Amino acid sequence: MASIEEKFNQISPSEFFYSNRDLAGFSNPTRSLYTAVREFVENALDACDQKGILPDVYLTIKAVDPDKPDPKPYILTVKDNGPGIDAEHIPLAFGTVLYGSKFGLKQARGMFGLGATMAILYGQITTNQPVTVKSSSDGKIQNQFEILLDIQKNKPIIVKHTTKEVTKTGLSVSICLEGDYSKAGGKIRDYVYETSLITPYASLTFDDPKDEKFTHTRFVKEIPPPPTIIRPHPHGIDVERIRRMIVESQFEIPIIDDAMIEKVRKDLGLSVKKLSFTSIMEKAKSKWKNLPRQVRVVVSLMSFLKMDFEKLNKIKIEDIDVSNKKLFYWDFGDSQSKSVDMDPESMYYKQLTNTVQGEPLTTFLTKRFQRIGPSTAVKFAEFAKFKPERRMGTLTNQELVQLSDSLQKFEDFMAPDSSCLAPLGAEPLEKGIKKFFNPDFVAVVQRPASAYSGFPFIIEMGIAYGGDIKSGGPHVYRYANRIPLLYDEGSDVVLKVVNETDWGRYKVKGEPPFIIVSHICSTRIPYKTAGKENVADRQEIERELRLALQFLSRKLSSFMSKRGQSEMAKKRANLYAKYIPMIAEFCTELSGNKKQPNYKKMLETEIASEIKKVEDEENIIETI
Amino acid sequence: MKPSKKEQDSKIKARSKKADDKQKTILEMLQSHGAKIYDDLDNGQFPKFSIPSRSVSNIVYDKKLRQYILGNNAALRSSRNSSQLRSFTQLIWLAFFANRLTNERKSSTLRDIYYSSQAFAVEFEDQSESDNIIVDLEAVTSRAREDFHIFPEERSSIFGDLNIEYTIPGYEGKTMNLANHPDGYSIGPSLTTAELVDTSAEIVIAIEKGGLFTRFVEEQVDKKFKSIIINTGGQAPRSTRTLLKRLHDEMKLPVICLTDGDVYGEHIAMVIKSGSANAAHLRELTVPDAKWVGVWATDIEKYKLPTIPMTEADIKRCYDLQKDPRYQDGIWKKELDVFLRIKRKAELEAFSKYGLTNITDKYLPQKLELAKSL
Repeated sequence: MASIEEKFNQISPSEFFYSNRDLAGFSNPTRSLYTAVREFVENALDACDQKGILPDVYLTIKAVDPDKPDPKPYILTVKDNGPGIDAEHIPLAFGTVLYGSKFGLKQARGMFGLGATMAILYGQITTNQPVTVKSSSDGKIQNQFEILLDIQKNKPIIVKHTTKEVTKTGLSVSICLEGDYSKAGGKIRDYVYETSLITPYASLTFDDPKDEKFTHTRFVKEIPPPPTIIRPHPHGIDVERIRRMIVESQFEIPIIDDAMIEKVRKDLGLSVKKLSFTSIMEKAKSKWKNLPRQVRVVVSLMSFLKMDFEKLNKIKIEDIDVSNKKLFYWDFGDSQSKSVDMDPESMYYKQLTNTVQGEPLTTFLTKRFQRIGPSTAVKFAEFAKFKPERRMGTLTNQELVQLSDSLQKFEDFMAPDSSCLAPLGAEPLEKGIKKFFNPDFVAVVQRPASAYSGFPFIIEMGIAYGGDIKSGGPHVYRYANRIPLLYDEGSDVVLKVVNETDWGRYKVKGEPPFIIVSHICSTRIPYKTAGKENVADRQEIERELRLALQFLSRKLSSFMSKRGQSEMAKKRANLYAKYIPMIAEFCTELSGNKKQPNYKKMLETEIASEIKKVEDEENIIETI
Repeated sequence: MKPSKKEQDSKIKARSKKADDKQKTILEMLQSHGAKIYDDLDNGQFPKFSIPSRSVSNIVYDKKLRQYILGNNAALRSSRNSSQLRSFTQLIWLAFFANRLTNERKSSTLRDIYYSSQAFAVEFEDQSESDNIIVDLEAVTSRAREDFHIFPEERSSIFGDLNIEYTIPGYEGKTMNLANHPDGYSIGPSLTTAELVDTSAEIVIAIEKGGLFTRFVEEQVDKKFKSIIINTGGQAPRSTRTLLKRLHDEMKLPVICLTDGDVYGEHIAMVIKSGSANAAHLRELTVPDAKWVGVWATDIEKYKLPTIPMTEADIKRCYDLQKDPRYQDGIWKKELDVFLRIKRKAELEAFSKYGLTNITDKYLPQKLELAKSL
């Protein structure tokens, strides 16, 4: 019988992304140039946000050989005034895939800094040029690296490393990549423009391959409050995550060697002199509260073994069988396995079970998740059909799945903590819209935080009408975590909600000059694709979008009707001024009078009152 | 015996006084409307007046009057209401213009009105808008537009032994016999306002078509059947209906109608008899005793007339008329049902199949005889 020998190779993350680069938005020279710009600009903004620095971001794209036709190599440089990166981290941060500083649970534009490395990888495979990184984290010394990626080993190769003196912190990343600016230019300019709308506290400059400069100066001087890093919400968790959390909460039985015995001796404050088992236990009891965990475990073991240090030195703990209350050990002297019973009433027994079996379920819940109190934890245990004091370490695989399912289903958990979110805020958003569109009407709303699958999110939305806005609306500006979304808008949930709105109901008709700005903030945006361009229609998000849009639409509607009324009043005043004198003229002859009736005063009063109405309406409109 | 000159003079005077009185009444009425509006304005108020509603829901059939009339619904038209201001102004202008026409005894046409408005900066979108305002004036004053010297363009004609005497300016006292000109006389403002002096005729035949009218004159139907022949030119214009009514009321002549053998022909006769819904705001336009003698649907079979099939529109019209209260009994209902059954129609000219004079030699005498029993 022939056997087929299969060979399994482990591939490095770099290699994986190299062969799947389409997923991350590097499918062709046009899209890749745009994606690379996005990744570096977003990293720069994220870095500044984290340290509360007002960002100055400088983006340059220059063709290596301007006379060549597209697609061709371009040098893309993004420079910021952020905190920089320490020299020791630079090679790993820019020379390996899956190395980053953004692993906590909070809102950021990108996750893990993966995209930037992808851009570097794409640059390297299309032009074979290293990435140039200039960074100063102390504002005195700048480290300059030229780095290549070893794709197979997922390791950086430092081509060059120099330093020089500088006066400011900041990071500059420069890559050479194959791109098509003639096709991507429009999107990149839109991206910079739209980014400056949602990041009004940043100054963005774009120096393009045709030496055209696009400068967007900050018009808000305050950075919105930064998000905090928080514990996960039970709804946003899966079995694997629980397993890892349990491992974190469990402790190994320490290996009792000479060093350990020495440590226990020291912590108990015992001198070198020999002590009996009883006196050791007495000493330990008196100092118990101040003892570190490892020492407590050793003392607990000793209490059941009834051994002093000398004897302890001659055995090895094999197993602590909590359920059968037995302690197994190997005796080197007799070369055989032995066991002793453990008294479940003793405090030492508790200490050992804690260590071996992990925390009780309720402690696990309150300590490791956000916003769960002791009483909720007990209620949940009942709901999930676990004993509240059940040790996490004793859960079987099946029980873990049951726990995970119950965590998803239990409805009495509080809504996820939204302090990890960083919405822009209604005021800066309104300022931005006013500055960009100079509209006749603007309304903004920030919805209260909500959650889908345990991930908190906040919807911010603005609506503007008239002014410099082009007709043919509504034009929708989509943002997610302060990133403009420019591609694939057809399948986006925001577009879906906008398109399903019957604008006639809100007195918006024809091809109105009308824009909608939508911003979804979340610790995890449910993108439909890895390209991060369209948001999936999660029911909870769709609902919040709808509520936000309805709220704003009603305001728009009242503006439109006020505007309609004021137009009507103007029209009425004109009509009176035109027709009443005619009626007066005709009826004078008809009635056989010589002199016209005395109607002028009435007409003036009426027109004045209509004009006053117009002014009143305009005042109201301004205060909406 | 020929009346003496003196007698004649006094007659003319009496007639012209009658015309003067009528003119005076109209002018006074217009003036009073004008005065009300003038006073409103003078008192610092937006003038307004009420106008009978001409909507379908307010048009009802009056069995006693045997015509459609307007119900009691009225709408207030106010110059304060900006959506009514324009039509309000148009209507005041029209009253003002009608006042001038009546005063100066000048006549005008519907189209004239449309163009005249432009000299006064009164805007009408098109003639149908100005026509509509004219109907408004009729409704407000309960007077036909002809009373304000406004006439439609379409003319029908009349032929037969009838002496008339003009009352229009420049022709006062002049007489005319309407059998003098074989093409007939067109029924215009001067004829409708003329005095009907005398006639030897014993019946009025209203016929739908000009071609048959000419044939009837040629065949001397007027003499043979002692009749006055009127060509209605399709649906009879108001002036013609007014004249028909006067011939019936003043000269005591019976009126019969001869139309094409189709649903439209039947309705032409009905409108002469009992008016149209469009003119529900007006009385004095109907001849309730008028009779429709043909061509009936039953005639088509009886006289074996060449026919053409009814169109979809024809059939729909039949069903529409079936709902009309005037078509609920008698010959009107019977013939309508037959039209619907045979779904064919025949024109007056169809008789030519049996010779050009067949209609006057055979058909007409039979029908005239029949009319007596209707």
